[in-house]
Amino acid sequence: MKWLIAQLWRRRVSILVLFAMAGVWQILSTIFTAEAVPGEPMVPGWQIVFSRTLLSLSDYWRGGLGVASVAEGAPQSYLAAILSILDHSVDTIVRLYVGLLIGGLVGTLLGMAVSWSRWTRRIVDLPVQFLRTLPLLAMVPMFQLWFGIDFVGKIAFVGYGVGVIFFAGVVNAVKNVPQIYIDNARTLGASRLQIYRTVVLPAIFPEMRGTILLSLGIGWAAVLGAEYLGAQSGLGYIIIYSEQFAYLDRMFVVALIFVFYAAISYAIFDRLSRRLLRWTPQAGRVVAHG
Amino acid sequence: MARAAGGRDVIVASNLSRTFRRADKQTVTALDDVTFQIGRGQFVCLVGPSGCGKSTLLKLVAGLMLPSAGTLEVEGEAVTKPGPERGMVFQQDSVFPWLRVIDNVEYGLKCRGVGKDERRRSAEFYLERVGLSHVARAWPRELSGGMLKRVAVATVFANGANVLLLDEPFGAVDYVTKRNLHDVLLALWTEAGSDERRTVVFVTHDVDEALILADRILVMHSGRIVDDLAVEAPRPRTTDGLMEPTMVQHKHVLLAHLGLEDTAGAAGAPVSAGADP
Repeated sequence: MKWLIAQLWRRRVSILVLFAMAGVWQILSTIFTAEAVPGEPMVPGWQIVFSRTLLSLSDYWRGGLGVASVAEGAPQSYLAAILSILDHSVDTIVRLYVGLLIGGLVGTLLGMAVSWSRWTRRIVDLPVQFLRTLPLLAMVPMFQLWFGIDFVGKIAFVGYGVGVIFFAGVVNAVKNVPQIYIDNARTLGASRLQIYRTVVLPAIFPEMRGTILLSLGIGWAAVLGAEYLGAQSGLGYIIIYSEQFAYLDRMFVVALIFVFYAAISYAIFDRLSRRLLRWTPQAGRVVAHG
Repeated sequence: MARAAGGRDVIVASNLSRTFRRADKQTVTALDDVTFQIGRGQFVCLVGPSGCGKSTLLKLVAGLMLPSAGTLEVEGEAVTKPGPERGMVFQQDSVFPWLRVIDNVEYGLKCRGVGKDERRRSAEFYLERVGLSHVARAWPRELSGGMLKRVAVATVFANGANVLLLDEPFGAVDYVTKRNLHDVLLALWTEAGSDERRTVVFVTHDVDEALILADRILVMHSGRIVDDLAVEAPRPRTTDGLMEPTMVQHKHVLLAHLGLEDTAGAAGAPVSAGADP
């Protein structure tokens, strides 16, 4: 508790800014009272978001756990709404992280293949550079048709979106690995595979940090894009469903949930990468105190 | 007479050449038809002005580079790639910053599948020998330049190389640190007993450094070996020892080769490379 208070106090300015933003939103909601369709305000105020909107999310609860769904005739309830948010979030997050993992792995391997040997470079470089230039979001329909509208299609799409970013990041970062480390490893008796595992991989990680953060953002965009078309669950599905009825307040809540998850992902990755980068000279650097 | 008595040659180079194509399409000859032998357990210094090809020669022996012409054998086998039997200490810092000091020293042994206990014992032994036991668990960024050199030296010794190749390893450290590093290196080299010593090829442009360290000094100029001096002064070599007439004479010869004196003739005619058995 003491710790929590200290943390909050340390971030008091940021927290104030956050509350100010919420306040501006509330003011906007009283100024712009236009409605998309009767009863659906363009800028929903917080009093709507935390009552009617939250409650309405129970419409998306698919039933189970002893809590009946609205489709089964049960009234809207906050419990069903919370379960609904969790349920659809899990679907989206699983798609996102499985896609991220596969895309990150494949992108990294292909990126390293470019520097592995002359032949792997000839085979891998051009096709992947070509794939890289395809506009991601415009590819959603193609992926749906190729890989289906269920799990595989979405993962393939997220994996593709993230994979090409990893590929570009790895190719560039490997170019910047100082030759001295590779020479040193070779003279100490390391095989090529060992050099990639024990020299190239750790050496590129500081530079890859930016790429990984970028791919987290792209990953969220890609999983949403994939859910817009043909999904039967997930946060993107709620957004696209709400859009059909001009439920701007529900879209707004889902957007807030996204922001929340993205913030948690970034924080976790930040903690993790800090630990992995303890060895860098920049660890714990502060440019100027004050 | 410059070679170690009894031991057969460990490094044998015949008509070795290496050329480079510069970006402006001109061909540069870094190494020009060089022939020499280095005997087992010898401490050889390669001395010459910057750009004379001494680093190229060392990289060829290390296998980091392949010759354009000629042959190069180490322990009777043609050099085609780097190998752990030829350890290298570089001029730049080569210690992996992402491994703790002791893991750096163990690195080569780990790559070759040496068991955890055995490689840890070896790493601890050599870290102790170079005076760095107290920083075994530190990150390299926490060490000074001289300490990083010690780590690099401990690493090649722990890795069990028979041939040590040092490319101006102490060129970037201050004088006091450099002298301490000489002591560390010589202590490790001599403790093996004269018949089991590792063969060392040490590139430097520092004449005093060569005289303190070497059994034999090969002088290079414009890609060729132009002189071959035997340094027979007893070890350990003291400041007084460096003032002995023969050492002073060697120094004059070396300085003349570097273009700093024109009295090379006064010190006796230079011996041509590899010609004398």
